[in-house]
Amino acid sequence: MDALEGLLYGLSLAFTLKNLAFVFAGVLLGTLVGVLPGIGPAAAISLLLPSTFHADPISSMIMLCGLYYGTMYGGSTTSILANIPGEAASIVTCFDGYQMARQGRAGPALGIAAFGSFFAGTIAVVGLMLLAPTLASVALKFGSPEYFSLMLMSLTLVTYLSHGSVLKALMMTALGLILSTIGLDPVTTKLRFTYETLVLRDGLGIVPVVMGLFGVSEVLLNVGETMNREILRSKIKNLFPSLKDWKDSALPITRGSLLGFFLGIIPGLGTIIPTFLSYGMEKRLSKHPEKFGTGVIEGVAAPESCNNAAATANFVPMLSLGIPANPIMAILLGALTIYGLQPGPLLIREHSDLFWGVIASMYVANVMLLVLNLPLIPLWVQLLKVPYTVLYPMILLFCLIGSYSLNNNVGDVIIMCIFGLFGFLMKKFRYEPAPLVLALVLGPMMEDNLRQALLISGGSIATFFTRPLSAVFLLVGFVSLLLPLLKLRPTAKFRAQE
Amino acid sequence: MVKADRWIGLFFSLFAFYVCVEGVRLGLGTYQRPGPGFIPFYAGLILGVLSLAVCLWGFLGQTDKPDRWQNRGQIAMVFLAIVGFTLLVEWLGFILTAFLLVAFLLKVVERRGWGFSVAVAVAVAGASYVVFDLWLRAQLPAGILAS
Repeated sequence: MDALEGLLYGLSLAFTLKNLAFVFAGVLLGTLVGVLPGIGPAAAISLLLPSTFHADPISSMIMLCGLYYGTMYGGSTTSILANIPGEAASIVTCFDGYQMARQGRAGPALGIAAFGSFFAGTIAVVGLMLLAPTLASVALKFGSPEYFSLMLMSLTLVTYLSHGSVLKALMMTALGLILSTIGLDPVTTKLRFTYETLVLRDGLGIVPVVMGLFGVSEVLLNVGETMNREILRSKIKNLFPSLKDWKDSALPITRGSLLGFFLGIIPGLGTIIPTFLSYGMEKRLSKHPEKFGTGVIEGVAAPESCNNAAATANFVPMLSLGIPANPIMAILLGALTIYGLQPGPLLIREHSDLFWGVIASMYVANVMLLVLNLPLIPLWVQLLKVPYTVLYPMILLFCLIGSYSLNNNVGDVIIMCIFGLFGFLMKKFRYEPAPLVLALVLGPMMEDNLRQALLISGGSIATFFTRPLSAVFLLVGFVSLLLPLLKLRPTAKFRAQE
Repeated sequence: MVKADRWIGLFFSLFAFYVCVEGVRLGLGTYQRPGPGFIPFYAGLILGVLSLAVCLWGFLGQTDKPDRWQNRGQIAMVFLAIVGFTLLVEWLGFILTAFLLVAFLLKVVERRGWGFSVAVAVAVAGASYVVFDLWLRAQLPAGILAS
């Protein structure tokens, strides 16, 4: 199936009443999650996941993906109006977006964020549509050694790009790998670390773990903290940017979109680092860099386009290789497995309806977000006024419902509570949860491929180094472990800025 | 690094040692045919080395100022509230437990008025029952209300 044929097929799936309703629900909930601080896309997707078990996989994925881009749109609203990033990728938007709002230019800031996001989202979907099938067909030639090395490289890249100490990130990766071995060993059917509990027999579920690490822990961190939400009271006008605004923003939007797309493909980069790089690039290219941070429209246009393009690009390794670029993609990968689909290079060929349906729904979601969100901004502003003390009991209750309804089992809720406390302590002592989650998801696949590769090669570890592609992946992984020793890490300065 | 890393490193070193022992007990197998304990053993070994490094770094390296620990009482109460929900939900049923959870968080943790806490708890418990149980068919436990 070529790209155009596939897209038309996808559009025929996306334009059914049922799937349009799913896209709508996804983008609306996503925007809500993006607007409300205290709950991010990872927790929200895990929360919604159990409720999708009754629907078919295509509709479910369409809704979950819609939720993801919705958060990217919604996050900018709070950044501009309240100087609070609704989700982490919108941190940079606060720098100039809030200043613009203070100068009475909240309308153009929100407008350019929405139009830039729409443009970037659309460009990135085209990129995804063209790149993912090509990458998947290349990956079909991979053997077990290549797969193992690719996953190892992804884990080291995530570690390298994590915010805090590399040593601690590596520790969390190793812990994630250990946790991934809990349950039934697929080869010998021996039980590992289950302690005669039924809930652990099938392994540690990704959903309760993520809900704990990203949902419950976030609530525990914010309890009792006074959130200073000073929302600008002036009327929002001129949502359509002026001709000058368009002129100033056209190139930053284009550059932000391209940068976001290419960086978003790399596992571990996620959406936060590309936005900082995009902002930095615009500042460097600008004729008036000193004005950045005082309310220039380029400072909103570039990072907002960049985060949307990166969010879409995150789907490239996930859909084509079965490698998640960030914890959100890890949950979506877990969702595919729960729906009975096998993630990996065969996914696009064997479930082309899912791939093209999701791609087409991304176009629809981008249009919906643009059409829906600008008129709904006053509603989101009202929602921002809901105090956190009322909001967090609801977030906790939804997390509890979500984890219980996975298997109608209290065991999953206990796992979520344990990881909630663990996640809270991790954040307090500056340990990153992302490497743990990715290792937990990739662990079983890595083990499977490692065992297969060793079995085929007669126990020779050299198989990983003598096959060229595998050797390249290992080399990149090794270099990414060495670079922090040379103090060459892009994330250190972003942490300071955050 | 923070000072607590000394103890965290030590804790994870001991945990890693346990994992390695368990890996050996499960069976390491051979390189040609790795056993069920192969990955846990080597991952445990890596974790052990890294944890010891973190522990040593905590003792020998420069430590940053630790994060503030404000509102410890409130955090503990919130955590205990969700643990309580987990223990009670199958016996008391979802609606009652959800009501108690929200009311407890608002009245005891956040010190809101009785009227406000009860009203919000009733609304949230009722609405989430309608959405998740009746509409999304999440099959939440009915508990004592079932009889």
